[in-house]
Amino acid sequence: MRLELGNIRIEDVKFGSKTEVKNHTLYVNKEELITLLSEDERLASVSIELAHPGESIRIMPVKDVIEPRVKVDGPGGLFPGFISKLDQVGSGRTHVLKGTAVVTAGQVVGFQEGIIDMTGPGADYTPFAHTHNIVIVADPVEGLKQHAHEAALRNLGLKAATYIGEAGKNVEPDEIKTYEVLPLFENAAKYPNLPKVVYVYMLQSQGLLHDTYYYGIDVKQMVPTLMYPTEVMDGAIISGNCVSACDKNTTYHHLNSPVIYDLMEKHGKEICFLGCVVTNENVTLGDKQRSSNMVAKLVEFLGADGAIISEEGFGNPDADLIMNCVKVEKKGIKTVLVTDEYAGRDGASQSLADADQLANAVVTAGNANEVIYLPPMEKLIGYAQPADIIAGGFDGSLQPDGSITVEIQAITGATNELGYNKMTARGY
Amino acid sequence: MNDELIIISNNPLVIANYNKVKAINGDIITLLNYVRDSVHLGHRLLTHPLAGSLKPNESPYKSVVISQYASGLDEESLSIIEGSLQVAQKMLTERPLPQWNERIDDDFKIIDRSLLDSALASLSNFK
Repeated sequence: MRLELGNIRIEDVKFGSKTEVKNHTLYVNKEELITLLSEDERLASVSIELAHPGESIRIMPVKDVIEPRVKVDGPGGLFPGFISKLDQVGSGRTHVLKGTAVVTAGQVVGFQEGIIDMTGPGADYTPFAHTHNIVIVADPVEGLKQHAHEAALRNLGLKAATYIGEAGKNVEPDEIKTYEVLPLFENAAKYPNLPKVVYVYMLQSQGLLHDTYYYGIDVKQMVPTLMYPTEVMDGAIISGNCVSACDKNTTYHHLNSPVIYDLMEKHGKEICFLGCVVTNENVTLGDKQRSSNMVAKLVEFLGADGAIISEEGFGNPDADLIMNCVKVEKKGIKTVLVTDEYAGRDGASQSLADADQLANAVVTAGNANEVIYLPPMEKLIGYAQPADIIAGGFDGSLQPDGSITVEIQAITGATNELGYNKMTARGY
Repeated sequence: MNDELIIISNNPLVIANYNKVKAINGDIITLLNYVRDSVHLGHRLLTHPLAGSLKPNESPYKSVVISQYASGLDEESLSIIEGSLQVAQKMLTERPLPQWNERIDDDFKIIDRSLLDSALASLSNFK
């Protein structure tokens, strides 16, 4: 399967009378977009604001972040199962409005998390301080239940990103990158001397604000399956979760997963990248055992020499991570794990809720318990209320001047376990 | 629903709406200790005690599903409940549970119930 990604460099975002890209500036017709998003009868009001890197703006609580993309050539469209029909995606050509993001903010539950500071010390911890953001805030109609509210916000973000992405359809990209993975036997035959690597892509799947979707299906309802790496670049995986903001994959993270892009970069040079095993992180131990058994079976079945396994979230997925690791290792296949840590404020405590001596190659994305002081911002987009009660916060964390002292787990993407952040630990 | 299970819960929303609930009148540590004792008595864990991404020092409510009948010590269950207790104690020592207002308290009940529902839906498919 072969996909061309045409990256259109966006250097600024402004409101305009027409939604279009001109000279690296994205113009958004605010009224037209609000009218489109207001069609959802679950939403009482929709407002849109812009947030640029370096501005004194705090966005919270962030629900999802989505990169605007558009299908230019080939089957299907973006976000199959939600926005587009259920065609197979991941081939042809897709354009990306690089440097911009749709950010949705909305308060589904009272303790909801997710902070993006566009400047100051917090900006170092989130990649979305460095994108030109179209921020959409939506209020639900009165009495809307949490599940319906979450679904409405999720759909709102995808719809907005699709509408904006269309502006890139007829724009000549600044660069075109080609990603291709051949069917299994052809792939292995083409690179017979390179180590064969599989990526095990673990997805959070546990309930309200803890769910992920693959071609529209809630992944807690599926068994592990195979995916070409390029499918994710067209939005085959959608985020429905935002609890524990630091280590939840937004839809933007899935579209830009560094694990996949880096493996593709090394494909044919250092390794032979066979593809992805998509799996879940369910609540029951039976599901965890079944899924990890199938992960190990699929990795072995593909003939892999090694596997990269990434986790999503905190606590119980540590059990899934270790089960996947141990079962794959016991088949004689080496693993490298990607996770984050909850090692206490001093970083000295046990990092994960589970461990095994076979988990001997681990990449960390940072310690979520690290405490940070976020100075007040001149402008807030979203809802101030969750500030003093956010995860990682503590009594008195929100000061009258608007400053917040929190653990970095409150910051969107701070310890992202796909590695889309700056933190890690190295041994010397 | 799988009839060979017990829900251990301190969530009033679960206690009021589900059958086969062992109600725990206490905090998460009390509940996890009860689950650990049950595991020592030979009950198996059917759900992970740290289900969801809410931290033990964030949400006051927890529902854990175990097997109804004791059938000898299950070492995997023991390892998981001990690890979970360790994480919960560590986090609560570093930062105690805040006092939430009613709306937020209700939201925590709903999330815990949603996590439990996803487990019960799965458990109904196999034994």
